[in-house]
Amino acid sequence: MLTFDHAGPGTVVIKGRLDAAQAAAAQAFLDGVQGTVTLDCSGLEYISSAGLGVLLKTQKRLLASGGKLRLSKVSQHLRDIFSYSGFDQLFEIEPAQ
Amino acid sequence: MTAHRLFERSFDSLPAIVAFTAGVFSSEGIDPSLRTVVDLAIEELFTNMVKYSTGSRADVRIEMTAIDRGVEVTLIDYDVDRFDVTARPDVDVNLPIEQRKPGGLGLHLIRRLLDSIQYEYTESSRQSRITFRKTGAVSQAADQNKGG
Repeated sequence: MLTFDHAGPGTVVIKGRLDAAQAAAAQAFLDGVQGTVTLDCSGLEYISSAGLGVLLKTQKRLLASGGKLRLSKVSQHLRDIFSYSGFDQLFEIEPAQ
Repeated sequence: MTAHRLFERSFDSLPAIVAFTAGVFSSEGIDPSLRTVVDLAIEELFTNMVKYSTGSRADVRIEMTAIDRGVEVTLIDYDVDRFDVTARPDVDVNLPIEQRKPGGLGLHLIRRLLDSIQYEYTESSRQSRITFRKTGAVSQAADQNKGG
């Protein structure tokens, strides 16, 4: 189960599991965002390489048009995944408190 | 005791696999902090089988066994060609974003997160077996304390 909710201008809250089964739906949603977007990851329980691919494709598209995707409230486990993937060099990442 | 189940060769099997993993962790008393990494490793290996062993229509068998401080998992793929995931090259994660591609990241990740991963192929039955182990850091710390 994966959900996205708009939470004010430029902020999207993602909740659930971003796995291969959910990647197409996630991509379809994120293909609709524009500009600089903060993705609140406090409810993101799990991400696999399929989910990382969705974030990478979105970041490439937004950067090309002068925006970007920021990741906020990122748990330690997700930060480990982003770090091992080199995504900490591609995204602005704000850790969870 | 080894728990096992067959799963249809489809991304749509992922929720059932997650439910199976959760059930085994609960029934076998496996450290729940290991679940996310185990789920990740199973998903990456299973989806590789779905994507690359397209000639087979057989279900994929997943076996899980509780071991000291963790779990051992085996995925068995039937009627397939050899595809040694452990021999795949690492991804260069330091490339600039323009040159980054998502392919290969899953195997790159699980090599770093698991204790071990082994691949076996049986020519006669055209069967691939991938076995990995994950144990808990907390217990390892406890072992160090025992030694001290």
